[in-house]
Amino acid sequence: MHRTVNLFLLLFALASAFAVYALKYDARRLEVRVQAQERAVERLEGDITVLKAEYAHLGRPERIEPLARNLGLAPVSSRQYLRLDADRRGPEASAAPASPGAR
Amino acid sequence: MRIVPSASNTNAAGTRSAGQAAFLRRRSLIVLAFVLLCFAAITAQLARLALVGGTRTRTTAAEPLLHGLARPDIVDRHGRLMATDLAVNSLYADPQLIQDLDEAIEKIAAVLPSLGEAELRKLLADKSRRFVWVARSLSPRHAQRIHDLGLPGLAFRTELRRVYPLGALAGHVLGAVDLDNRGLAGIERMLDDNGLVEPAKAAVRAAKPAVRLSLDVGAQHAVAEELRLALKQFAAAAAAGLVIDVRTGEIVAAVSLPEADPSKPAELLDPAKLDRLIAGTFELGSIYKILTIAMALECGIADLESIYDVRRHLSAGAHEIKDLYPQGRPLTAREIFLYSSNVGSAMLALQAGTERQRAFLTRLGLLLAMRTEAGPVAPPQLPKAWGRTETITIAYGHGLAVAPLQFAAAAAAVVNGGEMVVPTFLMRAGAPVAAERVMSEATSASMRELMRLGVTHAAGTGRRAEAEGYGVGGKTGTAEIPGRGGYREKAVIASFLGAFPMESPRYITFVLLFEPQGTRETAGRITAGVNAAPVTARIVERIAPILGVLPRLVEARTPFDAPHRAQ
Repeated sequence: MHRTVNLFLLLFALASAFAVYALKYDARRLEVRVQAQERAVERLEGDITVLKAEYAHLGRPERIEPLARNLGLAPVSSRQYLRLDADRRGPEASAAPASPGAR
Repeated sequence: MRIVPSASNTNAAGTRSAGQAAFLRRRSLIVLAFVLLCFAAITAQLARLALVGGTRTRTTAAEPLLHGLARPDIVDRHGRLMATDLAVNSLYADPQLIQDLDEAIEKIAAVLPSLGEAELRKLLADKSRRFVWVARSLSPRHAQRIHDLGLPGLAFRTELRRVYPLGALAGHVLGAVDLDNRGLAGIERMLDDNGLVEPAKAAVRAAKPAVRLSLDVGAQHAVAEELRLALKQFAAAAAAGLVIDVRTGEIVAAVSLPEADPSKPAELLDPAKLDRLIAGTFELGSIYKILTIAMALECGIADLESIYDVRRHLSAGAHEIKDLYPQGRPLTAREIFLYSSNVGSAMLALQAGTERQRAFLTRLGLLLAMRTEAGPVAPPQLPKAWGRTETITIAYGHGLAVAPLQFAAAAAAVVNGGEMVVPTFLMRAGAPVAAERVMSEATSASMRELMRLGVTHAAGTGRRAEAEGYGVGGKTGTAEIPGRGGYREKAVIASFLGAFPMESPRYITFVLLFEPQGTRETAGRITAGVNAAPVTARIVERIAPILGVLPRLVEARTPFDAPHRAQ
């Protein structure tokens, strides 16, 4: 009787030792994965910074202005503002070019 | 194990020894099983490791140490990036580990042609060294390509580098950093002084939120662009432009040409690239008449209709004060402003007296040291003695040199209803600014009327500053530049201190042209009315839409005409 109990306990101890061992390895593997993910996040964050800087660099007004002017665009002039609630006037108003503000 | 029965008690011992032997055999079996189990466990784990791959514990060299500081980003008022930290890869080599020198040199040179094969050979062939920099601050693309070569003996080290994606735009405001990412000047210096910069141990960027400036990148560019054109058109030596929100003191645009590139710290020390808005003090000339007349109104010694006989001879020291546009008749205070009468402003200042003049200018902050987030403003140059002569000359802007920023701040108080604001380069969080009242609402209203008149009146010197619909008002100033032994001929600072829209001013604009030359369009004149004033008009036309100032429509125009609406 004692022997079977002892045998059982021994086996149990061995099994749990093995389980702990396996768990430890699993934990370590997860840790490595976490580290890899963290590194990836860091790398991506770095990439985002680079892209943001590049975006700002490409969108700098110094570059955009000549491009826009080449496309025939120009700064808004005060003449391009129109009042929406203005009375509709006679023929001289309809002769005006169709809303340049829509550009 | 063998059991030897003892000879003395054979019988009893015989049965006992048989039981004992069985017991011992079983025991040995247990031990055997235990040992086998242990082996089985080891085998199982080995098999598991072999099959699953188990833990790939990689031993890598410790993360390269970063010698640098992580700085927060700098963005403009709309969040557009002005300065950021980038982790850059610097390539280094251990010559002892390089196996095939020729192959290495050839492959590196193919990716980085700028290095040159001969130089590479000199670097990499030196086997006595274990560390040589091959190329610093590589672009990520180049670094990846070098990495992909898979050459032994080459490795990268990450460093943080400050970059300014907008180039030289607002370079004077941003300042610069040194090689260790430490702030040297401008806003960058402020970041260090305020503890916003943290030492970086890894290639991680600062966790601190971005610092939001009051500048508007669009307006800043528009002002810079118009000033650049003016610089060329009038062959001026330098130019500066400033736009300040009159209610909050936020500096929306601050341009000083020639620009200083923040990525080249040495440019900040170049005297030719001095920040003329902040780091230089100038006698600004007639724009001071704004202050002189405001003082007269505030002291109650005159109103806009008070008449002064400006034909009178007036001398200050050895000089006789003369008017540039003499009218040959007595002028009202309004006309003194309009015709920019030196004699008239001198008479107003004399009537108020030196004490009151001094007190008024002090209240407007013009005689006190000032600082902004971008560093201290050049202190005002006060006259050594402030007597009758100085009272006269300061009335029309000579004898007291201040930084243009400081003058613009005072002008903001004149037009905004009389409250002094503190100029700032940082965006205010929208909280109302506790402002000190320096003059009455009524004085400010009169000054707004006068300044608008200076642009709308047919005889106003600021006529050319009119930007249709935006109600620009202001005052021209053409100040001779003091040189050795007196004022220099034909060398002036032409400036226009303006505000718009004048009925309820939102922004002060201040345009300065240093030593503009006469051109055919200006008929050879170099006064501010023909150069600084029209530049102001162009600037206002460009920045008003950016800053959300709507033009006042002079006449109603119909928006969408018959063809669109009729359907």
